Amino acid sequence: MDKKEKTEGLPYDIGGSDRQKWMNKYFFAPRGMGFLEPGIVPLDHPAMSAYNITKSAYQIRPDVFNLDFVAKETGLKKEEIATRISRLYDEHLILFIINPATQVYGWGLYYWIVKLKEGTPESVKAEFSEWYQNKDEICTGFETKGDFDFFNGNHMRVIDNLYSGVINPLGTRPEVEYVHLTPIRRDVREDRINMWDAGEDGYREYLFTDDEINRLVKFQSKVDLKDLKIVRALNKKRPIEDYFNFKALAEVSGLEIEDMKAGIRSLVEEKKIVVPLVFLNWPKLGLTQRMFLIRLFQIIPCYRKAEIVDEFTKVPEFNQVMEFSDSFYDIALWACNETTDIDKLRKKIEDYGEVEEIKESDVTRQYRRWVCRLDDNHGFWEECVFTDDFLQDFAKEKRCQL
Amino acid sequence: MKIDAVRPYVVENLRYALNPRTIAVVGASRASNKVGYQVIQGLKDWNYKGKIIPVNPRADSVHNLKAYKTVKDIPEDVDLAFVALPAHLIKMVLEHCVEKKVKLVVIASSGFKEIGRGDLQDKLTTYCRNNKLPLIGPNLLGMGSPYSNFNCGFIPYLPVPGPVAMISQSGANLLAALGTSQTTGYGMSFFVGLGNKADADFAEFVAYAGKDENSRCVAVYIEGMDCEEAFISACKSVVPNKPVVTIKVGGSEIGKRAAFAHTASDAGPSDKHYDEIFHKAGAIRATTWQEFLDMTLALGHMPPLEGDNVVMITNGGGAGLLASDELERRGYPLHTLKEISEGLSQRIQAYMPMFGSPLNPVDIAGTACELHYEGALIQSIRDSDVDGIIVSVCPTSITNVPAIADVIINLHKTYSHLNKPIIAEFQGGEECNESILRLRKEGIPAYPTPERAVSAVVALRKYAEIKKKCR
Repeated sequence: MDKKEKTEGLPYDIGGSDRQKWMNKYFFAPRGMGFLEPGIVPLDHPAMSAYNITKSAYQIRPDVFNLDFVAKETGLKKEEIATRISRLYDEHLILFIINPATQVYGWGLYYWIVKLKEGTPESVKAEFSEWYQNKDEICTGFETKGDFDFFNGNHMRVIDNLYSGVINPLGTRPEVEYVHLTPIRRDVREDRINMWDAGEDGYREYLFTDDEINRLVKFQSKVDLKDLKIVRALNKKRPIEDYFNFKALAEVSGLEIEDMKAGIRSLVEEKKIVVPLVFLNWPKLGLTQRMFLIRLFQIIPCYRKAEIVDEFTKVPEFNQVMEFSDSFYDIALWACNETTDIDKLRKKIEDYGEVEEIKESDVTRQYRRWVCRLDDNHGFWEECVFTDDFLQDFAKEKRCQL
Repeated sequence: MKIDAVRPYVVENLRYALNPRTIAVVGASRASNKVGYQVIQGLKDWNYKGKIIPVNPRADSVHNLKAYKTVKDIPEDVDLAFVALPAHLIKMVLEHCVEKKVKLVVIASSGFKEIGRGDLQDKLTTYCRNNKLPLIGPNLLGMGSPYSNFNCGFIPYLPVPGPVAMISQSGANLLAALGTSQTTGYGMSFFVGLGNKADADFAEFVAYAGKDENSRCVAVYIEGMDCEEAFISACKSVVPNKPVVTIKVGGSEIGKRAAFAHTASDAGPSDKHYDEIFHKAGAIRATTWQEFLDMTLALGHMPPLEGDNVVMITNGGGAGLLASDELERRGYPLHTLKEISEGLSQRIQAYMPMFGSPLNPVDIAGTACELHYEGALIQSIRDSDVDGIIVSVCPTSITNVPAIADVIINLHKTYSHLNKPIIAEFQGGEECNESILRLRKEGIPAYPTPERAVSAVVALRKYAEIKKKCR
């Protein structure tokens, strides 16, 4: 039996014709905590080559991206585009990553919000912040200011590990008023790019409006209109074969172009389990994000909650959209304070009769972007850290004490 | 990839793998749990005296050392590039190394032939060969030398300085030897884990060891050999001056498959075939890892055993019997003292009680003290008909084990000009282990069992036979 036959022979293979047919036999949702779906691939699998090569080489070879496409989109010459990408990277304004569908990979994707008690000294908040920054078990984290103080997330296989690693050390601190878990039910949009849960044809759409771009250009001086057009073009949805410069990837690696194309296509377009994206380092640009944490009335049925999320997803200014499960809260929406009309967006949310409560905080600092550290002031820019609890028992190791 | 013969430019540049003036660590990391961090930490910990240059396109500095985005951005000459990056970046790194005129490149990364990417490995190897850039690896553990305080790779040990050049295709077995070096006194001149052995071949390391002044014995662990003629030729050029000992694994059916999964090695035809290869090469083949270490230790320190006249002096009859049986099983039976030399038996009897046995093994009895040992040993060493000595110690309550070790050390120094090998065997408790270490430190092969001492004697005798054929 050759490799292809073997893969296709797997029952319910992601991207295959039997995908999730097993639901005909069972009645619970396929997502949730700790599922390992057939057809997943490890991050060092040959199918990941195009991404892996780009991730490791774009710092010195910006032409690993398809600059012909970017040139066509922006009207700029390829040489200028390459020079600008290099500058944006060197100044730590952009970062290339993938966002993987961690829930499909067998993790639960948990976020949580932390509220410190009124009057807690800034020094304590700073201590918490450093803990998050250096805690390799946590893949994503944000410092916020407003109704709550932190919003963090991690993919974990074992709920005990989340409790032992994060919730317990935080919850036992006297300065903490509460920690609320917000497990992800749908990962709809991150950093302006629609993820696999966006629904309909929205997957991989990048939403960065002209209005926001123009406002951003006026707000700061680190990036100009051309830079932002390049970032938008790099992230624009198109067939994944057009995303990379496979000739350059072959030059770097010696691998076969067609193999690399087939591999990345299967992951991004068929299985839909990874999304490559160029992250614009918004804190470095002096931007802040308003995070709306929305609680629906508990009588609202799930289908309606999903519809409301879909309706919010149609608003391009919401650059981050998440739907929660089994939580006090149901939806998180983000919008940039400096480039959108926050009051208008709040009004839009308030117009929904299903909304019981909205908490608001401004996101002022991001610690990591999908396991890559963003703290260039510590000298760890783009250092990828280990954030998996695979085979680990944090409760036993007691290594996550705050 | 196959070579037809040893390539002089590779042998010439291998010195940069073991004593580089400048090393670029490509894939140097800021995270302490990553290989690229630990490689530099190791170099520092072992007091490497050359210059370390981290290469990392994401960082300005690593380990408080200025980092460069690529090898070609480094302003000074680079002797060695040690690469700890994923397989898909190696082609680009090799191009940078060629452009920079790096002397030698070591690729630690896995993900080549051993997982089915043989084409990629061959393509990169061909590129290196076309540009005369010697490549060690990929998929290797590391290499180093205690003589230059150089330990590069994932190896937590630096062996004690010694005579054995350890060339191993297996990282795990190399680690075993390195790990026990400090506790067993097994000294090395250099060590290298070859991994997939894409470019630089066993033959070229053998040829290099032949020229290396610190190496007096060449030890080669082999999983698969694809350049038999080059190996034979390299060994033939070395064995007149230095012995070569091999151990070849993958003889069993499951072993053949395991060898491929490990280092992408084709374990090759029958085991008998390799007996013939090693015979042609003039290499001594060991069959177990312990024997491999025991033989190389002896060959590294002692001259060859020029004849069969070996005298064994012991205070324990049982040790003598174990040794004499083993020698006979291996085709080198002991002869009686009377057969060896007229009058030797009588002279030695002066140093033993009446209930001792002057046969051979010579049992000077459990009451023997250091003076008895000294006398019997002097008589044996000075006898022109004696080719070599085994001295065995079994500690009784009246045996002064350290004092006997002192006697052996002094005699070795006094009579080294006679070029007769002395092998020691101390079987017992901690005082014996301590004496074994002291003896090894003084260049005297010492072992804890009679059979292991016999392995050493057999190796020394075989090497003398090989040398004789070379004349």
